[in-house]
Amino acid sequence: MARLTSQSRGQLAAIGQVRWHMFTHSLRTTKGALELFSRIVISIVIAAGGLGGAVLLGVTAWYFVSHGRPEALALLLWPVFLFWQLFPVMATALTETMDSSHLLRFPLNYPAYVLVRLVYGALDPATVLGTLWLLGITLGVGWARPGDLFLWTALVLAVFAAINILLTQMIFAWVERWLAQRRTREIFAVLFFLAMISLQLVGPMLTRYGERPNATFHKISRIANPVQAMLPPGVAAASIVGAADGRYPLALAFLAGLVLYAAAILRTLGVRLRAQYRGENLSEVSRDAALHQRIGVQPGWTVPGLSGPVAAVFEKELRYLARSGPMLLTFVTPIIMLVVFGIRGRSGGFLFNSPDLALPIGSAYALLLLTNLIYNTFGADGGGVQFFLASPASFRSVVLGKNLAHMAVLAAEVLILAVAVSLLFRPPSWLAVAITVTGLLFAAPINLAAGNLLSLYSPKKIEVATFGRQRASQLTVLASLVLQIVIFGIGALTIFLARSYARPWLAVFVFVALAIISFATYSLVLTRIDPLAQSRREILTTELCK
Amino acid sequence: MHAAGNLPENHNPTAAIATENLTRRFGDLVAVQDVNLRVAPGQFFGFLGPNGAGKSTTIKMLTGLLAPTSGRIEILGLDFERQVVDVKRQIGVVPEGLALFGRLTGAEYLTFVGRMYGLDRDICARRATELLDFMQLADQPRKLVTDYSHGMQKKLALAAAVIHGPKILFLDEPFEGVDAIAAGTLKAMLQRMIARGATIFLTSHVLEIVERLCSHVAIIHRGQLVAQGSLEELRAGVQAQSAAQPQLLASAGKLTLEEIFLHTVGGTHPAERELSWLG
Repeated sequence: MARLTSQSRGQLAAIGQVRWHMFTHSLRTTKGALELFSRIVISIVIAAGGLGGAVLLGVTAWYFVSHGRPEALALLLWPVFLFWQLFPVMATALTETMDSSHLLRFPLNYPAYVLVRLVYGALDPATVLGTLWLLGITLGVGWARPGDLFLWTALVLAVFAAINILLTQMIFAWVERWLAQRRTREIFAVLFFLAMISLQLVGPMLTRYGERPNATFHKISRIANPVQAMLPPGVAAASIVGAADGRYPLALAFLAGLVLYAAAILRTLGVRLRAQYRGENLSEVSRDAALHQRIGVQPGWTVPGLSGPVAAVFEKELRYLARSGPMLLTFVTPIIMLVVFGIRGRSGGFLFNSPDLALPIGSAYALLLLTNLIYNTFGADGGGVQFFLASPASFRSVVLGKNLAHMAVLAAEVLILAVAVSLLFRPPSWLAVAITVTGLLFAAPINLAAGNLLSLYSPKKIEVATFGRQRASQLTVLASLVLQIVIFGIGALTIFLARSYARPWLAVFVFVALAIISFATYSLVLTRIDPLAQSRREILTTELCK
Repeated sequence: MHAAGNLPENHNPTAAIATENLTRRFGDLVAVQDVNLRVAPGQFFGFLGPNGAGKSTTIKMLTGLLAPTSGRIEILGLDFERQVVDVKRQIGVVPEGLALFGRLTGAEYLTFVGRMYGLDRDICARRATELLDFMQLADQPRKLVTDYSHGMQKKLALAAAVIHGPKILFLDEPFEGVDAIAAGTLKAMLQRMIARGATIFLTSHVLEIVERLCSHVAIIHRGQLVAQGSLEELRAGVQAQSAAQPQLLASAGKLTLEEIFLHTVGGTHPAERELSWLG
């Protein structure tokens, strides 16, 4: 890898400067100012979470080290590691990285390109939170054992942080590659299907281990402990333990292990970055598509009860979603969450103890993930929005078609979740099904109504096939966050009160009442969407045709 | 079902496109000011102007992509403001950004567009097949639009703009970035449409193409319409002026559209200027 030349340093400075100019210019508009406000609010929330977590982790680290149990630091490093890697996948709207492909036309050398990707790739909430938490752990250790151990911990955790940043980038880069083409997506789908089948084994396994907690838990611990000790959080903890015991050669060896991890991850990431640097285009064209074969044009779908334009938009949306790699992950993540929360520990998993909540919570999470699409419904259309504006079809038809497609995805997701809940825990009760359905009938229309408005007021062009190299409008993220807190707060309170009064069906009736209000709001927005779209057409074309 | 056939039988407007004091402001900037256009049915109309003159702003207003600040637009005698859906049924548009949906195949895109214009599914499929054949886009049916070359995308955008059989076609820079073969296909289609009585309104910087295709031309400069008429009328106008001021004309003989254009907007060839550092 060539060194960064003075020319490269100048280029990096120019990139920083141009981003600063873009930022200051964006403040000229009301939308830009609102974006900044939203960003500040989100940053405060993230900083609060980061500082709170840092204090908690710091105190725990202090406790472990001051009580002679530094090896327990691995228990702190693992959650940080898992959060750092999983959060960007599960909350792509909040993930801010940079699509640097447009920099390729400049004479930017490879090291400078890598640096740009890594620096801007690190500007996301997971990195901020992870860094703050590691800082908390470092200070906690330093509080317990100031001096050498503090400095050593700082060094080890700095390398650990670098590993996390690189690994996130690597996962994003490779997942984007795997999900970019039909063939690899099909492989992904098969793997997912196999995972679904394997879920059948998880339930009996959990039950079996749950019945004999001590013996089995210790057996699993005996196997798992050496494995975790070989992975980055375990290696980092081992290095700190070595230093705490004064065995610096051992500590150094583990630190070298960490550095090797970082180097290996950087090299694997480098394969993708090198391909991107060479101007790779993740084309959808598969080998068979390249064959010059002629096939007849299929008429569009007929969807009973839908007019031609609504059915056409419905079909178009589902085709788009089916060709979107990140969308597949949206399908998978609620089930991963169910598995994570369903794993039964010694005290039992949260969902394992309350399996009737599994379907409502999983469905709520599925809806939450879909808000990425719902709140920026024209984002993936890009310049195509001009067609909607120029065509005689009403915007109401367009929006309705999109909303129906998103609800079809949600319905499919809930069905898959119901199967997963049946396999993992037990078939959901009628009450759980009723609460889920009525809860969604309340939450979905109000989200659609808000999403339709925000799609017009704060549109942002996105590329559906690109994974994690773009971010949603901060205004949309903030508005979505506030609305979700309100909706899920109402939902949780309703269920809690109904359970408290031992009248769980009461929640269903409350949700039905709320659903009527929610649907009325949605209908109202839908009937007024055409004049709104007409008044916002300039913004829509400006933002989406960039 | 024919989406573009919703006008009354005896509907016979005198102008395909007519604007009255069409104005668009962006803050303090007046992008288009008091433009009074008149395009007769069946004309191949070229709308010219230097960069930033207001061409795209005008065409966006004429196609409903941008609201005018003031003024009036009539398309085939229909008031754009009050009969917007009826107007949109009669027109086809190839906007500057092409308005394609990248993650559909060409066939999927055309059938989608057809259905949005209210065409029957089978008619959409049949016309899409014919258009893909005509545009030589049928060879790679599974290829996504995003993977098309620029020329292929232009051809597809034109195919989409005509699938419902519009009476007026608006084209914003249709030949920009298109190779000679693709340009030939586009021109052939446009000439067929003109032969069948459609009206075409296009903006282009390629004056040779405009001169060859268009019967009538308008020139916009700094937001104002500075010339409008048939090529012969514009030529005669410039020649009449040059008779009074012969220094205005560089060449003798029949004026080219480029000369008319440069004369009208007051442009010169930058032959005298040079950049000393450029090798």
